[in-house]
Amino acid sequence: MARSGYDRCSRPSEKPVGVFGCVIGASGAVIVTINPASIMQIRNFSIIAHIDHGKSTLADRLLQSTHAVSDREAREQFLDDMDLERERGITIKASAVTVKHMVDGEEFMLNFIDTPGHVDFSYEVSRALKACEGAVLVVDSTQGVEAQTVANAYLAIGQDLQLIPVVNKIDLPAAQPDEVAMEIEQILGLPAEDCIYCSAKTGEGIDELLNRICRDLPGPRPPETDKLRALIFDSHYDDYRGVVVYIRVFDGRLRVGDKIRMMGSGRTYFCTELGKYTPKPTKVAEMGPGETGYLIASIKTLADVRVGDTVTQDSNPAAKALEGYEEPKQMVFCDFYPSTTEGKGNSFEELRDAMERLALNDASFTYQPVHSEALGFGFRCGFLGLLHMDIIQERLEREGGVEVVQTAPTVTYQLELTSGEVLEVHNPADLPDPSTWRELKEPIVRTEIIVPREYVGDIMALCMARRGVFKSQTALSETRQMLTWEIPLAEIIYDFYDKLKSMTRGYATMDYEIIGFNPERLAKVDILINGAPVEALSFIAYRDTADKRARGLLVKLKKEIDRHQFEIPLQAAIGGKVIARETIKAMRKNVTAKCYGGDVSRKRKLLDKQKKGKAKMKSIGSVEVPQEAFMAVLDTGE
Amino acid sequence: MSQTERQPTELTLRGQRATGEGALRGVRGVGSLYVHVPFCFHKCHYCDFYSFVDSRDRQGVFLERLKAELGVLAGHAGALRTVFVGGGTPSLLRAELWEDLLGWLRERFAFGEGCEFTVECNPETVTPELMGVLAAGGVNRVSVGAQSFDRRHLATLERWHEPENVGRALAMARDAGIERRSLDLIFAIPGQTLGEWERDLETALGLPVDHLSCYALTYEPNTAMTKRLERGEFAGADEDLEADMYERTVEMLGSAGFERYEVSNFARSGMACAHNMVYWRGEEWLAAGPSGSAHAGGQRWKNVPHLTEWMDGVARSGGYSPIVDYEGQDALRALCERIMLGLRLGEGLDAEDLQRRAASLGVWEAVRMRIEAHRRSGMLTDERERVRLSGRGFLFADGIASDLMIAAQEKTPG
Ligand SMILES: Nc1nc2c(ncn2[C@@H]2O[C@H](COP(=O)(O)OP(=O)(O)O)[C@@H](O)[C@H]2O)c(=O)[nH]1
Ligand code: SF4
Ligand SMILES: [Mg+2]
Repeated sequence: MARSGYDRCSRPSEKPVGVFGCVIGASGAVIVTINPASIMQIRNFSIIAHIDHGKSTLADRLLQSTHAVSDREAREQFLDDMDLERERGITIKASAVTVKHMVDGEEFMLNFIDTPGHVDFSYEVSRALKACEGAVLVVDSTQGVEAQTVANAYLAIGQDLQLIPVVNKIDLPAAQPDEVAMEIEQILGLPAEDCIYCSAKTGEGIDELLNRICRDLPGPRPPETDKLRALIFDSHYDDYRGVVVYIRVFDGRLRVGDKIRMMGSGRTYFCTELGKYTPKPTKVAEMGPGETGYLIASIKTLADVRVGDTVTQDSNPAAKALEGYEEPKQMVFCDFYPSTTEGKGNSFEELRDAMERLALNDASFTYQPVHSEALGFGFRCGFLGLLHMDIIQERLEREGGVEVVQTAPTVTYQLELTSGEVLEVHNPADLPDPSTWRELKEPIVRTEIIVPREYVGDIMALCMARRGVFKSQTALSETRQMLTWEIPLAEIIYDFYDKLKSMTRGYATMDYEIIGFNPERLAKVDILINGAPVEALSFIAYRDTADKRARGLLVKLKKEIDRHQFEIPLQAAIGGKVIARETIKAMRKNVTAKCYGGDVSRKRKLLDKQKKGKAKMKSIGSVEVPQEAFMAVLDTGE
Repeated sequence: MSQTERQPTELTLRGQRATGEGALRGVRGVGSLYVHVPFCFHKCHYCDFYSFVDSRDRQGVFLERLKAELGVLAGHAGALRTVFVGGGTPSLLRAELWEDLLGWLRERFAFGEGCEFTVECNPETVTPELMGVLAAGGVNRVSVGAQSFDRRHLATLERWHEPENVGRALAMARDAGIERRSLDLIFAIPGQTLGEWERDLETALGLPVDHLSCYALTYEPNTAMTKRLERGEFAGADEDLEADMYERTVEMLGSAGFERYEVSNFARSGMACAHNMVYWRGEEWLAAGPSGSAHAGGQRWKNVPHLTEWMDGVARSGGYSPIVDYEGQDALRALCERIMLGLRLGEGLDAEDLQRRAASLGVWEAVRMRIEAHRRSGMLTDERERVRLSGRGFLFADGIASDLMIAAQEKTPG
């Protein structure tokens, strides 16, 4: 079974694939023969692109051209293995794949790493890039340079990688490869004439690209020591094999059976398996400088592996670890609660199990139990960004089989106490009494927005309204501009992206990066229902626009709470001072008009339901507040 | 709109439904009878009764089957105190079929002294001839569907009749000697103002009626009206306006001598509909015709709401209709129903009866506490022997009923 014997050459009659030949020995175990690769013949590279520009398709085509995947086997987007990724067309996990390619009789081992395209996962892009010497930058010839093209290219240039620009989708009638090549030159400074024009769909230009990868990209740097140093650039949890660690060996050699040590955490393990994805997992006996592959060492949970850590030999350790990179920081937070609709998958315990399982797979989100007066027990979770949050929610529901209620996202604030101590606050309810702190700082991002020229004015106005600070404006081409702004993260986690898209009929693209924390005129806004403060509804807002936001919130709340037999005042207040108010009028009538003989059963059931609905409401200041009210109020819209 | 028969909703083993035979076993001496005639000449958009436009003219066969079913039911009835023929549009049945039906009823059933015998009529279908036939056959009460006297609002409801024909129909009934006459009216129609509703009430009070049913328009599931509302064709009436209209109704009718004896029903003294009171007091009645609901022997059931299936079933089983939605004896259900229905009445609930039922289930204390709370807040009157809504309480009948029902369903400690 593929499950236990990961390495499956299940059809011995088939031709061996990839760099490795494999045969099934008499015992059934797989014996791998490796063509020892000299350092000069190895090329480690990533493919980076704006979403949908064809990165995954190109990766597939490369696999096909190097015969790593037979045409018959070729299925689209071989590297995206999760359902969810397939459906959303985004790549979440970076996978390292090894193939071989011959140029002029010389054999090259190509290790390539598929990276995610979305802004939230830039940390994954950085990880992948750490293991590479070069990168293929894919730009859609019908779309041109977009925000994530720029962001990803900057990341690569920042790490001194050699870039090969590829203008993709030239088979499409709308392709404008020359113009797009000019944009690449204009904005990224890569000569237009260096661009390879290709179609990942038809295969045109693929051979040229492969040759350029072999010829133009630098090989791995020579070893600096003979002691083992391998960088952990990714890891994932496999239900059947436990933690799978992706490594790039820089120095020394690693063999199956070696006792290894993680230099950062100090933990030691026995290396039980080494291998490469070709793209089928294929065991190897050892790995040397420049090589990329996976490592299995009976590591129990992902939490035991720190991506960025250096693997060395326990008995003969290297003196100094490789340069790692910064751990991703969770900047967006929200709560998940079990849904209150009765049924399977709606208990706190089920939610907790699903969280734990998911955390095995994704070490970049955090969770801790919380209790909300309104929503009961749940978890406060931290994410890298908004898309990351959406993905986690979907995976919880799909893979975890739970139904969750999600509160509105908030950002991480830095709170400077009068004592000088600095706290991180992820939840407005956690904000201590104003007299105990001096300053509240919020995260600021730098965002690059690429738009057609006619929308520049609108976008400028939008950024201004979101408390943005204008930085620069660059022409990409005759028709498109790149704008750089600094904006508080809190202002973009709401509906900024949707607004941007709708204002530009979908043409604008953006990316952002957190650049620091700024002190701002921020205040905690309390919401009172019938005089009673409701912590779950409080929020932190910019003082000057707090009343507008508060009013919007009260209006929504008013729609969600049914009328009662008495009038209900709704108030928003900052430090006891009311800044907005609304009133829910007293209910006038609650009586079914018609109830005749044939109606009795149905009407009785309706009243019963009304009663059950009541049981699910939260009573606040003798007001029955439905769970939907919390949700709708916390909804991101205006 | 739904010009065809609705599809059956429930199926039992081997495609055969249970029939009313089992439910009727042991049932004796029931004094009330409901008969359902499913035909209409047009489907009104707010209507969720089992009714449809019969393009195949099955009135003759329908009547044969109805007689078969009535023949069976007669064995379970005592002297009838109330009979109600509803629909659909019973007045759509041809006069000679009516003669046949009324004759059959007289032949098979015993009619008690002063039995109230109501027939629902659509104003368009009333003729002096038909009224004569009804009166001669013992019908002494008609209920005419007027809904509104404003053409614009009738159009919104997709209700097809001429407003003037309402008065004409009532006059014909009176002239034929049918002594008791009622009108159905609807308010809170989209676009209707308070003034317009007051005019409708005035018009109604000017007609020869002793009973008025005034219903706030209800958007029942699966009706055209509800779909149109959801599509945004119009907005539902504002809650305040609807409440104003209702309060105005109680006032205007009250000062004209029409007492509210049920949430939506008003009558001159002694003219309350005795048949409907049977429903609301939780008494027993039998039912004939597709979709007819019965309550007897502590059980509730409903004839299958499908003409062909009902006809075939009755033919096959010698008069018993296939049934759906059967509910057996259940003291808790009965208590909840008493609360829900009794509270809607002007007379309210008999406190002693309520206490006896609740106590036998061990929930009287819980129910009593809620009753006291509602008395304190003024929703229920202070009368000890009755549990009765106050004038203000009537506006919140559902909330109070549901609250008492919760108490009744609370598990007794220990
Ligand atoms: N016509 C055409 N379509 C392409 C080409 N490359 C990719 N696509 C399509 O573009 C879409 C996005 O490609 P994908 O590889 O998922 O992009 P990624 O998000 O960068 O991984 C898919 O529908 C591909 O089939 C190409 O060269 N020509
Ligand atoms: S006449 Fe009565 S039963 Fe017939 S469709 Fe109209 S409302 Fe319904
Ligand atoms: Mg992809």
